[in-house]
Amino acid sequence: MEPRSAVGLTARDVRLRRDGRLVLDGARLTLLPGTVTALVAPSGAGKSTLLRCLNRLTRADSGTVRLAGRDVATIDPRELRRRVALVVQTPTMLPGTVAENVAYALPRATPGDVEAALRAADLPPAFADRDAAGLSGGERARVAVARALARAPEVLLLDEPTAALDADSAAVIGRTLRRLAEGGLAVCLAVHDLPFARGVADRVVGLDDRELPV
Amino acid sequence: MSDGVVQILVAVAFAAVAAGLAIRLRLGLGREIVVAAVRAVVQLALVGAVIAAVFRFPALSVAFVAAMVVASALTAGSRLRGLRRPRLGAAVAIAPPALVATGVLVLTGAFDATPRAIVPTAGILLGGAMAAATLTGRRMLEGVRDELDAIETRLALGDDVRTALAPVLRTAVVTGLVPAIDQTRSVGLVTLPGTFVGLVLGGASPAEAARTQLVVLLALLLVELVAALLMAEAVSRAATAPGERVVPPPPDGRPRRG
Repeated sequence: MEPRSAVGLTARDVRLRRDGRLVLDGARLTLLPGTVTALVAPSGAGKSTLLRCLNRLTRADSGTVRLAGRDVATIDPRELRRRVALVVQTPTMLPGTVAENVAYALPRATPGDVEAALRAADLPPAFADRDAAGLSGGERARVAVARALARAPEVLLLDEPTAALDADSAAVIGRTLRRLAEGGLAVCLAVHDLPFARGVADRVVGLDDRELPV
Repeated sequence: MSDGVVQILVAVAFAAVAAGLAIRLRLGLGREIVVAAVRAVVQLALVGAVIAAVFRFPALSVAFVAAMVVASALTAGSRLRGLRRPRLGAAVAIAPPALVATGVLVLTGAFDATPRAIVPTAGILLGGAMAAATLTGRRMLEGVRDELDAIETRLALGDDVRTALAPVLRTAVVTGLVPAIDQTRSVGLVTLPGTFVGLVLGGASPAEAARTQLVVLLALLLVELVAALLMAEAVSRAATAPGERVVPPPPDGRPRRG
C-alpha cells in the first residue's frame, strides 16, 4: 500500500487506451508544493495526455489521481481545474485584451489582481491593455501562465512551455517557474528537452515517476 | 391548345434551351439540368394530384403534413452526420416550432382552418425551420471541432461545458438565422417571395397577398429561431461528456469516448 501524500498531487497507475493504442500504461507522477518537477519523455510518449488526466480534461481508463490526498474524481471539475492549472503547448488566447484573458471566468477579479498575475508571470502591467490576438509566441506563453496564476492554483502544469520559444524567452520562463515554486507552488513541466529540464527542475522524472539518471 | 398545355410547353422549352446551352458550352451540366427538370415535372405532378386529394378529403391533410415532417427530418438529418441520431434530432428541432406556429395561426384566425390554408402554411414553416436547423447544426458541429482548443481553454480556466460552448453556439444560431433575417429585410426589394407571387397569380389582390406574406415572414422569424436553438441544444448535448468535458462528435456519427 502506497503512503497517501496529504499534500501536492499524485498520479498512480494511470492507464489509457485510445483507438486501440495504449497511450498511458500505468503512468505515475508525484508533484510536491515548492518543487519544480520536469516530466521528461520522448514526443508522443503520453506526457500531454497524462497532464490532461490530472485536471480531468481527459478521462483515464483506470488509475488514481489525488490532490491534497483527495481523489480528483470526487472534486467538481470546475474547482479542480482552478486548483490544477494547465498551460498547453500552444496556448489559445480568448478574444479580447490580455486583462480579459487573465480575468476570464473570475467575475470578482480587480485590475490589481490582473496586474499581480502579470507580474508573477514576469509581464509588465502595461501588457493588460494589449489585444491578446496580437501577441508573439513567447508573450502568449507568459500570458497563459499569468491567466493560470490568476486562479491561485495549487499545482501549475505546463506542456512543453518552451517548445516554440527562443533561448532567451525559454530562460525567462524557466526563472519564472523557479520563483513560483519558491513561493510554494507545485510546478510540473512536461518537456522532451533534457538540458532545459535539468537547468530548471528540482526533480527530473519519467512517466514512471522515477528520477532519470544524470 | 388549352392554357395549361401552353404553360407546360413554354416551361419545358426553357429547360430544353438551358440543357442545350449547357451541352453546347460543354459545361458538363446538361444531364443534371435534364434530370432536375424531369424530377420537377414528376414531383409537381404528383404533389398536385396528392393536394387535390387532400382538398377533397380534409382528413388526409394530417397525413400530408406528417409526410412533410418526415421529409424535412430526413433531408436535414442527412446533412448532420456527427449527431448520434441525426434524423430524430432534426425532427425534434423542426417539427415543434413549425407545427405550433401553424396551430397558432389557425386558432387565432390569421389563416382559415382548411387544408387549402393549413397545408401550404405548414409547408413553408417546416421548410424555414429545416433550413435554419440544418445551417445551425452544421455550423455548430464544425465549430466544436474547429474551436476545440478555445473550448478546452475555457474549460481549463474553470468554465462549465455550457459556458465554454456558448460562443460557438451563438455563432451557429446567428449563421442559421441569416437567411430568415435577410429574406425578411429584403422582401419586395430584392425578391418577391413565393406566397405573395402565388396569391397574386391565383387572383388575390396585392394587398391581400402582402398581408398573408407578412404573416408568414414574421412567423418564420420565431419558428426559425426556435428551430436553430433546439438544434444547437442537440449538438451541445452530443458534444458533452461527463465531468465537464467536451468530446467533438466524429464526422461519421459513431460515438467515441474521450
